[in-house]
This record gives sequence, structure tokens and C-alpha cells, in this order.
Amino acid sequence: MEKEFIKITDLTRKFKDNVALDSINLTIQEGELFGLVGPDGAGKTTLLRTLAGLLRITGGEVREAGCELHKNSESIKPKIGYMAQEFSLYGKLSVLENLQFFGEMYDVSPSLQKERIPGLLAFAQLTEFTDRRAAKLSGGMKKKLALACTLLHQPPILLLDEPTTGVDPVSRREFWNILNDLHLQGTTIIVSTPYMDEADRCSQVGLIYQGKIVECDSPENIRQKVGGEFIKVVTHDWQKAREIIQPLKGVLEVQTYGEALHILVDSANKRIGQIQKSLHKAKLDILEIRVIKPRMEEAFISLIRKIDQTK
Amino acid sequence: MIRRILALVKKEFLHLKGDWWLPAFMLFGGALELLAIGWATSRPITNLPLMIWDMDRTAASRNLVISLENTGVFALTEPAKSMETIENLMDRGEINAAVIIPHGFSNEIETIGGHPVLQVILNGAESIPAREALRAVKGVVRSLDEKITIDRLGIDPDLFKGFDFSLRVWFNEALNEAYYTTPAELALMLEFTILIFAALTFSREREFGTLEQLLVMPFSSIEIIIGKSIPVILVGMFDFTLMLGVVHFAFNVPIRGSGLLLFGLAFMYTLVELGKGMAISVFSKSQHQAFLLVFMVGMIDFLFTGYAAPVESMPKIIQYLAYFVPAHHWLNIMRGITLKGSTILDILPNILFLLVLGLVIGFFSLRYIRKALD
Amino acid sequence: MSFRHLWAVIRKELQHILRDRGTFILVLVTPTLVLLLMTYSLAVKIQHVPIALLDYDQSATSREFIHQITAGDDLDLYQNAVSMSEIEDLLIKGKIKAAIIIGPKFSEDLLAMRGLSLQIIIDGTEPETGGFAVDHIGWRAEAFANDILADQILVNGISLDSLEPIDLRIRSWYNPSLEPRVDIVPGLLSIVLGFPAFSVALTLAREHEHSTMEQLLATPVRRIELLLGKMIPYILAGLVNVIVIPVIAMAWFNVPFNGNFLEFLLLSAIFLFAELSMGMVIGVFMKSQSAALALSFLVVLFPGFFLTGIFFPIASLPEMARMESMFLPGTHYAIITRGVFLPGIGIDALWPYAIMLIVLGLAFTGIAALFFKKKLA
Repeated sequence: MEKEFIKITDLTRKFKDNVALDSINLTIQEGELFGLVGPDGAGKTTLLRTLAGLLRITGGEVREAGCELHKNSESIKPKIGYMAQEFSLYGKLSVLENLQFFGEMYDVSPSLQKERIPGLLAFAQLTEFTDRRAAKLSGGMKKKLALACTLLHQPPILLLDEPTTGVDPVSRREFWNILNDLHLQGTTIIVSTPYMDEADRCSQVGLIYQGKIVECDSPENIRQKVGGEFIKVVTHDWQKAREIIQPLKGVLEVQTYGEALHILVDSANKRIGQIQKSLHKAKLDILEIRVIKPRMEEAFISLIRKIDQTK
Repeated sequence: MIRRILALVKKEFLHLKGDWWLPAFMLFGGALELLAIGWATSRPITNLPLMIWDMDRTAASRNLVISLENTGVFALTEPAKSMETIENLMDRGEINAAVIIPHGFSNEIETIGGHPVLQVILNGAESIPAREALRAVKGVVRSLDEKITIDRLGIDPDLFKGFDFSLRVWFNEALNEAYYTTPAELALMLEFTILIFAALTFSREREFGTLEQLLVMPFSSIEIIIGKSIPVILVGMFDFTLMLGVVHFAFNVPIRGSGLLLFGLAFMYTLVELGKGMAISVFSKSQHQAFLLVFMVGMIDFLFTGYAAPVESMPKIIQYLAYFVPAHHWLNIMRGITLKGSTILDILPNILFLLVLGLVIGFFSLRYIRKALD
Repeated sequence: MSFRHLWAVIRKELQHILRDRGTFILVLVTPTLVLLLMTYSLAVKIQHVPIALLDYDQSATSREFIHQITAGDDLDLYQNAVSMSEIEDLLIKGKIKAAIIIGPKFSEDLLAMRGLSLQIIIDGTEPETGGFAVDHIGWRAEAFANDILADQILVNGISLDSLEPIDLRIRSWYNPSLEPRVDIVPGLLSIVLGFPAFSVALTLAREHEHSTMEQLLATPVRRIELLLGKMIPYILAGLVNVIVIPVIAMAWFNVPFNGNFLEFLLLSAIFLFAELSMGMVIGVFMKSQSAALALSFLVVLFPGFFLTGIFFPIASLPEMARMESMFLPGTHYAIITRGVFLPGIGIDALWPYAIMLIVLGLAFTGIAALFFKKKLA
């Protein structure tokens, strides 16, 4: 396994007056299931497009699977399966015709196509829709079709831009099962996602914010880097509760999740009693209060907040 | 209500900023095309390649050649040496006409009672220049006829002068080609500009998916219609002014009638075409379709405006149908006011037709659009 | 270049043309429709020009004259006016295009061989009707005068013959009656084949608008494969028109087709290559379909109409316009179609134009390939 399968050095990309990628340095190993996580506009799509050879590299270097993209980005294309964020298959062509088209474009011989397509249709659960026009598929099916199109030529690298956005939870789970299978087979996968729970399923996670890589580590390590513990508190009036809790000593951050508050404190043991007392004093009933393990979401929001505070 | 309409208008203009080419095309495209095309087409037919086979080679035949050259219609090619050359060049479309002066031409002229023969071959594959060429040749022949007759018979030349009639050309004394073509081209451009712009108003929203959003907002359909109409009207009138400027200043076409009346009627015409355009726009499922429909409608209207050929020359049915085409009346109005100095009374029938057509089209369009929006 | 890639793109485009109603109509139906429309509206022979007569003479001769003038289809008597102001009114209102004023001493002057006391007023605002009226009235008047005076002249020892000594023999090749349709219809072919060119411009823009461009660019396909693959189906569609339209021209409009059809197909394919690659250049630069269409109108359709020598002879255009017209494939093809339909010449005579078209096609394709980047930005 090549250690530095994908190595990105000082990658910078500007569009008019906004800096989409700000000196990105990243190394991805072969066979990783890498999650690229960040809010809208952070630069996920720009990064993926660059890795797919779709954007000119104007600053920095990208070495990918032995190709030097900053010199010749066309060379990487046969080795990649790219799935764009927006549905970009041919609506007027059927499921089968789309697969065949992309098969031809990736130089998969007709006999190999014949061999592989039925399997792909099956695992994307599209067999009964083989002749249906792509425009007439549901959102989830469209994404699965798009994924199938990237797999036909069995590329070593998959670049998927928010593949599960806009897809129902059941399909999402199925999709990730597929990705895990591919991961086990040794494909290097880079997935961008706004869903934090998906980030947990990756082998490595890269947090990207405002064009910079904020954090790049395994999910567990990131969660632990939060530097504190979380206490979950549910009351009838979360706004009032927040007002009360925020100024308390040892409270580093208060995050809201619907009716609940996830409070980051330096030490749960030290602070949980104090919080209870303050809420009682304000006559607020506590419906739930316990220590919780930080999830990616909390970790991420916390990290972002720290960055914003240092500005 | 006015505030909401203004908000809509502002949004339309902001939208347009994104697609900057659309307003640019609308505003300047028409004027530029007019300039370019007007310049290229308002010229009399000249420089037609003419090949002469002079088998006589006398002073008389050479004089004939000079007369032909002097018509200004022809550009003489190398003299022909054989019929084959003429055939080849004519086949390939490299000459528009050939004149063959047979041996003995001069002799026949000198002889009393002689009939000099002259052969002209026209390239029928280009009938428009061919007619012009024929006309020019006939003119030269006629003069020569007169001269010969006078010489032979010693008739008083004034006798022949009498056979000329006096000719007056009204509205276009100098027979300036631009007078024919540019007002009509302006009318055509204006129609296309307004139609395209109007047709895009709704179809663009539909294609980008913002139409639904517009419909759930608290605008009444009338407000939406007015809000979308105002930019089109503004653009239309601006375009008209620009093009009128081009026609007047670049091509020296006069505006002999009332400018105010002209603008007023231009405004009315804009509204009529706007109605048509909007109906097309609601009807089309995509911008693409809208464009196509506009083009078809525009072409059909073009048929009836009598731009290239007068409506009287067309079959009766078409003549009747022409009355129902707004552009037909608009062209008459344009020509009337600019070239003829027409007053309201002179062009009243056209104005009335335009008004009635406008109301009918407007009524149906509005109903259709409101139904579609609601 | 990979033929497999090329074929995949061609197949996809063909599927699209057949399945997308708008494209199908634009490419396979519109050319014929527009041809019909244009033929009926532009290739019109002038006739039935309305005129008015003001007869101050009111003699048998003048009435005979009026009768002769209005005898044919070319001039129609709209009204017998009684005053000059009536004539003015009619002209301004556009009800008549010309007026003949017969002087009070018309028959007197004519019989005394003092001349034709006639005044013709024409409306100078309409192309050609004025000149047409003058010509036709003139010819009729002359013939009339000669007729009336035949006896008189004989008395003076001159025969009618001698008044027009020159024997002018007129022959009009390929189109004996100089019927406008016969030569304009073949020329129109080069204009209406601009529609497939629009479609080509649209196809690239459409990929951008529907986001499929992104997916497409991520594949190893090469630029030239993409461009040619998109052009070829439209060339084929254009050729369908090239077969259908001459059939219509011959059957409906009686336009003769004297050339070799296979050669014509070949020449047409070359033209389509040039014309469509021009459309391709537009498509490469415009990212939205409406922009592509608008630009196509401005650069393909309108110049195609005015500068290709179909309605306005190129010889009469100003120098700069003439040079511009050389860059339009339509100009060369108009010469080819005219040549193939009417004189019936073939590649042996038309090859220079074919070469020009090939050169233009290669140039445009080259420009398109140069500026078409396989990058989103």
C-alpha cells in the first residue's frame, strides 16, 4: 500500500475575489475511506473537482496515484470515478444507456460491460428500472445510478461529492453499506458530506472550513480533541436555560439541538452540580441531564467556534 | 400595489444583470444589426459581372460597350472569345449576363432599313440581378434605337423627346435605397426584440424553477404581469429610439411627420407585441421553445408585412390575413410618418386596426396568462 | 482519437435528437417550414400593383390608353381620380403605388406627333414597386403610342419597323421566365440549414445547463472526440433535410434539379461540416442555451440572410461586407446549390467552393477545439 497515494501540497484556488481553497496540505493513503466534512461553501466541491482534474491548478501541487495534476490533469481521469453533487446524468437516456455510455467513455470493452452491468444494477437495486429514463427515477435511485456509473470501470479512486444529500434515510444507509464494501475491497474513497454521522463511518476525516483544513485525523481522535466533556440538558425553555448556563464558570460552549442543550464544560463532575443548582434557582424544570460522549457534530461545531473566536 | 410592482421590476432588472448578454443583445443587438444590414443592403445593384463578345470590333460596337459600362450597373469582365467561355462562366455563376455583338453590327446600323442584331444572355440562376441587368441593357438599346432612327431618317430629335413622359418620385426623390429598406428592417427588428424579450420573461423563470416561488408570494397575477411588462416596455422603447436614431442619422431617412405621434404609436405597438410575447412565454416549457416560437411567429408576420414584396402581389387570401398582423400596420405607420409625413387621419385605418388587434390580443393573452398563473 | 469514444458521443446525441421534441422539431421540421414561409413571402413576383389614373383629356384615345395600361395582371386600376388632391391622398394613404396623369391635350399631342403628354408619379417608399410601375407603364405607353401612330408614320414614309431598328434577342438561361422562386429556393437551402447549426451551438450549452457537462468532463474523453461526436449527428440530420427539401422544391415549386444528386449530397455534407463547426464555436463560448441561440441568430441567421448573395447580389455589397461574406459557409454553398440545381454543374466545376468550405470547416473546428477546455474553470 502506497503511503502517500494522494498528496496535496499548498493547494490554493481563488475564484474572482473569494479564496475557495487556502493553502491546503493533505495526505491520503491508499485504501482509505476519507470523509471530507464542512459547511456549505467551505471548499469541499472545489477540492473534489480539483482532484478529479476538473479545475485548473493555479497554486500548489497535487500528486495523485502517480499522476502530477498540476502538470497534466487529464492523466488522472481514467483512474477516477467521480460523482458530482448535482445530478449530472442524461435524463433522456435510460438507466442502461447511461451505464453503457459511461462504460464506453471509460474504455470498458463491450464484453466487460456485459459482465459487470448486471451486477452493478443488482447492487444498486436498479435491475427492474433498466429501461426507465433517468429523469424519471427518484432522488435516491438517481444517486445510486450515478454511483454505478462511476464503478463500471473499477477505478482505484472514487471521488463522491455529497452523494447522500437529498436522499431518504433508508437509501442513505444502503449507500453507505455499498461504500463500506468498496472500502473493504481496497478502493480509495473520498466522500464529502454535510452529515456528521456519516463522518463517523470513515477511516479518516478531514474537516474543512473557509478553504482550510482545520483538522485531519481519525474520527475518534477528533472527538477527543474537543478538550472537555459534554453535558446534555433538556428543559421546557431552552432559551432561558441557555441564558442562565452560559455565564457559569467552566462552561466553555453551549450548543443547541432542538429543545436540548449540549454544554461543553472543562470537567463534567465539577460543573454538573452547579448547572443543576442554577436551573433550579430560576425555577426551570430539568427534564434530562446527563453526561454524553461528544459526537462528530459537537466536535466540529466546537472546533469551528474556536477558529471564529481567534479571528 | 405600486410598491409591489416596483419591487418586481427591480428584481427583473437585477436578474438581468446576471445574464448581462440578454439586455445587451436586446438593447444594442437590434441597432447594430440594423446598422450593419442597412449598410450592406441599401445599395443599388451595381458591379454585376458582364461579359461581352464583340465579334464586330468597330467604332459602333465599341461605343455600345462604353454605353453599357456607363450604366453603372455592370463591371465588365475580360472580353469573351468563344461561346464556350460564356457557357462555362455562366454555369459557374461567375457572370450575370453576356452580350454578344455579331459581326456586321456596324454595317446594319449604317444601312437604311437594316436591323442590327444584339444578343443578351441573362443568368437566370440569379433572377434579381438578371432583371436589373435586362433593364439596363434595354435602356442602352432604346437610346441607341433613337439615335439610329434620328440619324437615318433625319427626324427632328424633339419628336422623340416627346415620347418621354415626365416622372416624379414622391417621398423619395433621390431614390435612396435606404428609404425602402431601413424603415422596414427597423420594424422587423423591433418586433423580434420585443417578442424575444417578452417571451423569455416567464419561460426563464419556469426553467430556473423560480416561477413557483413567484406564485406563492403575495402578488396578484395582475401585479406580476405589470411588473414583468415594464422592463420589456422600457427596453422596447429604448431600442426603438436607438434604431430610429440609426435610421435617421446613419441612413438619412427623414422623419417628415410628427415625431410625437410616431413615438406614441411605437408605444402602442410595443404593447401589442408584448401581449403576444407574453402569451408565447407562458405557453412554452423552456426558453428554447420560447425562442423557436418567437422565430416562427416573427417569420410568419414577416410574410405579411410586405417587406420584400408588396402584399398586393400575393394571393388574395394572404392579403386578407395581412390585416390581422400588427406588424403590417406598424410598417405602414412607420413608412407613413417617416417618409410620407402622414398625419393621424392619413394612417387612421392602420391605427384603428392596431388598436383593435392590440385589444383583442391583449384580452386573450391576459386571460390566458392569468389562468396559467392562478 | 478513440473511435469508441466518438461513437458513444454520436449515439448519445442521436438518442437525444430523437427523444427531445424541441430538438427534433428544430432540426428536422423547422428548416422545411421556414423554407416554405420564406419562399411565399420573399420569392414573390410583383404583380397587381394598384395605380390611379387622372384623365384630364377624356377622349376616346385616352380611354383606349387607360384600357391598355390596365389590361394585364401587372397593374391594377384602383381608382379613376378626379383631382390632384385625390391622387395625393391616395398616395399618402398607401392605397396606390403609382399614378398616371393624362394631360388635357393628350390625344391631340399624340396624333400630331408632338409627344406623350403624361406624368407618372410613383411612391418611392416601397422597394421595387415604383420602378416596376415605371417600367411597365413606360413599355405600355410606348407600345400604345407606336400603335396609334403606325399609320401616321407610314404616311411620312417611315415604317413602324424603323422605329426600333435594333433586334434585341433576349435569352434567359436556366430560368427562362426569371421566376424568383426558381433561383431563390436553392439559395434558401443554405439559410435554413443554419438551424442544425443552432442546435449544435445549443448542445454544448445544454450540457452546461443540465450539469451533465461536469460528469462528462471527468471522463477521459478528448475534446476533439466530443466536438466531432456532437457535430456528426447534426450533419446527418442536416443531410436528411438536404434530401427532403429538393424534393419539395421540385414537386411543389417546380424548381428544376439538373445536377447529380450524389455529388450534391457530398457537397452538402461538406457545407454542413463548415456551417455546423461555426455553430460549434458559438457553443463553446456560450454557457447558456438562450445566449447560444441569441448569438446564433445574430451571427448565423441574419448575416446568412443578407450577406450570402441570395437576395442581395454580392457584387453590389460594399467591400467590407463582401469580405465578411467570404467567411460565411452559406455564401459558398449558395453558389453550389444554384449551380447544381439550375445549370446542373458538378464537382468538376464547383470544387473551389468545396475547398473553401473545407478550409472554413477546419478553421472553425480548430478554433472550437482550442477554446474548449476540459475544465470547469
